[in-house]
Amino acid sequence: MSDVRIAGGAMTPFNRRKDASSWRDWCLSAFTDALADAALMAGDIDALMVASESDFFSLQLNPAALIADELGLRRIRVQRVEGGGATGHLAVQAGAALVSSGQARRVAVLGVEASASHLDGASVGGLYSLSYDAWSEGESGIGSASIYALSALAFMAETGATSEDFARIAARNRQNARHNRFAHLPLDVTEADVLASAPVSTPYRRLDCSPLSDGAACVILAASQDLPEGPGRARLAGMGVANDRVRLGDRAHPGCFTAKGVALRAALAQAGCAVDQIGLAEVYDSFSGAQLQALQALGLTADPLAAERDGQFTVEGALPVNLSGGLLGQGAPVGATGVAQVLAAAQQLEGRYPGLRPARAPRFALVDTHGGIATLCAVSIVEAPR
Amino acid sequence: MKRPLQLDYNIPRGRLAPHFEALAQGRALALRCSCGHVAFPPALTCAACGAHDGDWVALSGQARIEHRTDTPGAAWALARFAGADTAVMLRIATPELTTRRGHLVPPEHHAGLWLALEETDDDD
Repeated sequence: MSDVRIAGGAMTPFNRRKDASSWRDWCLSAFTDALADAALMAGDIDALMVASESDFFSLQLNPAALIADELGLRRIRVQRVEGGGATGHLAVQAGAALVSSGQARRVAVLGVEASASHLDGASVGGLYSLSYDAWSEGESGIGSASIYALSALAFMAETGATSEDFARIAARNRQNARHNRFAHLPLDVTEADVLASAPVSTPYRRLDCSPLSDGAACVILAASQDLPEGPGRARLAGMGVANDRVRLGDRAHPGCFTAKGVALRAALAQAGCAVDQIGLAEVYDSFSGAQLQALQALGLTADPLAAERDGQFTVEGALPVNLSGGLLGQGAPVGATGVAQVLAAAQQLEGRYPGLRPARAPRFALVDTHGGIATLCAVSIVEAPR
Repeated sequence: MKRPLQLDYNIPRGRLAPHFEALAQGRALALRCSCGHVAFPPALTCAACGAHDGDWVALSGQARIEHRTDTPGAAWALARFAGADTAVMLRIATPELTTRRGHLVPPEHHAGLWLALEETDDDD
């Protein structure tokens, strides 16, 4: 893949906004801070890629045009990208494609979602249930937690994973988030706290679930030659996307997030990177078990369940995962989620991540995001500046 | 600022309409492809061979639960209907029962697939 750099980036806090600020405010904040981080001006941007999952949340159709206007961007390429939970990550990949194909020189990728403050939880949950097959699952009143729970149960039956494994992940990601000043749930909780939290949908309990969050995140993508002199920036080295059957029951293995492996192989080939060179990962942990399911599907280690129990995914481990806190800890404003994941990976590789960092930054990091229940999977490989 | 929004959609089911009309009556209507693959719920494209045609075939409505999840107010399951090559996510109409066999019943307060569990699993 050609030289696409993550020239800079920024995010707002992810939380449930109660300060009367609007999603338009968050967009402007993330965009201006990202520009400053990249040492660029608004006039340097020639394309805006907006990531926003649902107009039902923002109550703004055609949001890309509106956001461009609010940011003071005129007569540039503007478009919106959507792919469920993978929306932000897909927008980053779409922006990178513009740069690598020469259709744009400096792309701002701006992800935003305003669900938590705009609507009550039941309304958001009802809309999320349309993320699957709206004519079957979506009509039965089932929520995301139950759909993920059924997949997790299949995974547990196949692998021997337990609720204790899931609880360890949920607690660790919240602990990781305590180092992240933008995090929604920086909680000092233990595995026992997770197991004692209120039941939601067996085997999941309240602390196994990621929160509904508000927020925005922005990254600037450009080739090195189109950036000012400065510190080296991480390279978006490889990208892959793959889909799976939408309905869980149509899959041969409903506990396996198979499409992630397909997306990973495409990304690795593009990056010229071997799987054992990946030294850090930001993985889509909408639910605690989903993190383990993702690691199983990605195959970053021979036996992810044993690796989890052995502590290999902690900050001291061989492959730190979700040092940002992930969705469980950092939060999940859908359009912004994947953008923030890419930003965290890049800043980790650059040695300037403002949170929990490994002792030594690796050369390659992986970013994994999905929509539906691993129905639309995006994987990117980010490489440290050299 | 408060901004209420109430929408009343009218959604045609197109080629899949017979399945949904049967479902409303508690009957299981699957789509059998010329290759023999039986999809329940049906899909426009056969997962086995990619064909776009097929014939409607009535299933018995008997199903077996493969995985079940319970919420404080309801229960859902991944179940496989007799005669179908795919599994399906459905709502359990009798969450107080913990058996694994059941039969399709007409929807209650939500549309979709509802399964009433048998009192016993004696046939296993």
